[in-house]
Amino acid sequence: MSVLVDASSRVLIYGIAGNFGRFSARDIAAYGTKVVAGVAPGRDTREVEGVPVFQNARSACASTDADVALVYVPAPAALDAVLEVLDAGCKVVVYPGDGLPVQDAVEIRAAARRAGAVLVGPNTPGVISPGKAKLGFMPSFCYTPGALGVISRSGSLSYEAGWRLTSAGLGQTSVIGIGGDPVKGLNAGEAIDLLHADAETEAILYLGEIGGADEYAVARYAERDDAKPTAALIVGASAPPGKQMGHAAALVGSKADTQAAKVEALRISGVHVAANLRALVDAAQAALRQRETITT
Amino acid sequence: MLMTEHAGKSLLAAHGIAVPRGNLIRKGNQVRSLKQSYPVALKVQVPSGGRGKAGGVLRADDAEQAEAAAGQLLQREFGGERAQTLLVEPWVEHTRELYLGLTVDGQIGGYVILYAPTGGVDVEHQEPHKYAFGSPREFRAHALRELLASAEADDALRERIVVMARRLVFLATAIDAITIEINPLAVLPDGKLLALDAKIVRDEAAAFRQADVAEEIERSRKREPRIVAKALAGNLMMVGLDGEVGLISGGAGMTMAAMDMIADTGLRPACFLDCSSNPTPAGYQLAFEALDADRKVKAILVSIFGGGTHIDRVAKVMNEIMQKRKSRKPVVFRMNGTGRDQADVVMQQAGLQNYPTLESAVDSVVAAVRAG
Repeated sequence: MSVLVDASSRVLIYGIAGNFGRFSARDIAAYGTKVVAGVAPGRDTREVEGVPVFQNARSACASTDADVALVYVPAPAALDAVLEVLDAGCKVVVYPGDGLPVQDAVEIRAAARRAGAVLVGPNTPGVISPGKAKLGFMPSFCYTPGALGVISRSGSLSYEAGWRLTSAGLGQTSVIGIGGDPVKGLNAGEAIDLLHADAETEAILYLGEIGGADEYAVARYAERDDAKPTAALIVGASAPPGKQMGHAAALVGSKADTQAAKVEALRISGVHVAANLRALVDAAQAALRQRETITT
Repeated sequence: MLMTEHAGKSLLAAHGIAVPRGNLIRKGNQVRSLKQSYPVALKVQVPSGGRGKAGGVLRADDAEQAEAAAGQLLQREFGGERAQTLLVEPWVEHTRELYLGLTVDGQIGGYVILYAPTGGVDVEHQEPHKYAFGSPREFRAHALRELLASAEADDALRERIVVMARRLVFLATAIDAITIEINPLAVLPDGKLLALDAKIVRDEAAAFRQADVAEEIERSRKREPRIVAKALAGNLMMVGLDGEVGLISGGAGMTMAAMDMIADTGLRPACFLDCSSNPTPAGYQLAFEALDADRKVKAILVSIFGGGTHIDRVAKVMNEIMQKRKSRKPVVFRMNGTGRDQADVVMQQAGLQNYPTLESAVDSVVAAVRAG
């Protein structure tokens, strides 16, 4: 069993009839993910890549037993589409889109909790459990099965990290993109809880950046007596204060937002912090070695 | 997007929160034509914090003093910006200054109300009382009342604060505000509350349903240097950083990782330039135009690890741009991700080198800058 998604998950793609939805349906199915339904309200598409397409999520779930949703709609339509798949009974929902108003993010996060579901996103490539299934648009070749659980605020950085780890022979249990927005369906602390509970995950790698407080949640976790060994890379050392670096949450407003302050907090908590991308694999290796010392 | 105090107060007033009756002026001598009783407060209208401490608020007891103070304030810079307007308000006598705010807390994933019994310029020195309620419809006045019981002994005052907090929740929802801060919130001799300042931050992502936010984004874009303004208008995310190494990238995390790696060599990145929201021929063309036109930029690194962006398509676009491009600044490519096998073929046929790692590409672009 892996976190959030595995080969038995029955996936619904909302917005399957667009170019991106079609590509993704083909791409995740090729990875072994069970895509069982599509939803495309207002379109007369009946089938995409051999998958039946429905007018709404309720009938899609009723007809196909879909329990996981990947939602590809632009930000203005995201609130309603995510509420719809939650109402239809999906227990894991990924919303990858960016530019979602904070108010809508608060609303879909609250709705997911009321429904007892897990929401991943916004502003994320999704989740992959290498060798099992993928729920998103990360490049598959970057990943291979293994013992490292990875959490990332940035999509592009998670591909780069995955590819470096895979090239170095360090496989992953799951790579969770929590996204770059201030309000997340699943934040760093909550993602860590999932990896902590996952028996296959031996060590955790966290990829963070300037702004927000997720890195401090990682530091608090690392201080726990039962914490799994943790490594981290925090980018944005060269970012000037007061300027937003692409992600809505990546902004240095106070000292605690800086890369240096976050690195210090993580180091004090015993996290293996990579000074930069060049040192990433070494830090991950150190965390895995620490696990071996604990278990032997 | 931080609004000016005057714009913020207009929104507070429209949602049932009392503010002083003020007037905006653009020139010092306009003070005399205002129907205003003295003393007055003159306040620079710049969208940045720390104004009070920086001397951006002055008191004047008569028209003569007011004109002099206005002239002085309009000539100075605050937060790197000269104010276009001043807000002139009656100087309000009050018995206490409180702090009341609403903001979004990423860790609880929702809204919080913040209250401190002592407001004013030094409010940062105390830890405010925090009521975290998450979604606006989860706000409960009775929960806030209970929380404030220990903080505020005066029952009548506490009730006024609770009523105002509820109005802030409605306001935040209506205008897509991610922060509303009233500091100081004055208690008048008759016990009523008056918002003496207003700091409202609007959510730029909500521009599609908030026309005034969309207009303000447009206006602030025009205040940027011409090159940056053009890139922003083309839906690229760009922040000028004044360095020698041009960077065309995709994705916020990898853009920052590349910036950091450049900075580690002792050189400086010229920009944060993320093309992932417009990965089209027009978008990349615009990115090259911006960096080719910047005289400080000596060489350009194209660093893209594509997921949703298919880099075989990007490679074709890069080839077309390189063929038409007039600038002779060296360009170093490092592209990986979805479609990488086809991308390698395209690059090879075009005679362009694709570096295998970010390290090797950064080393190469840094060498090009140092050689130039």
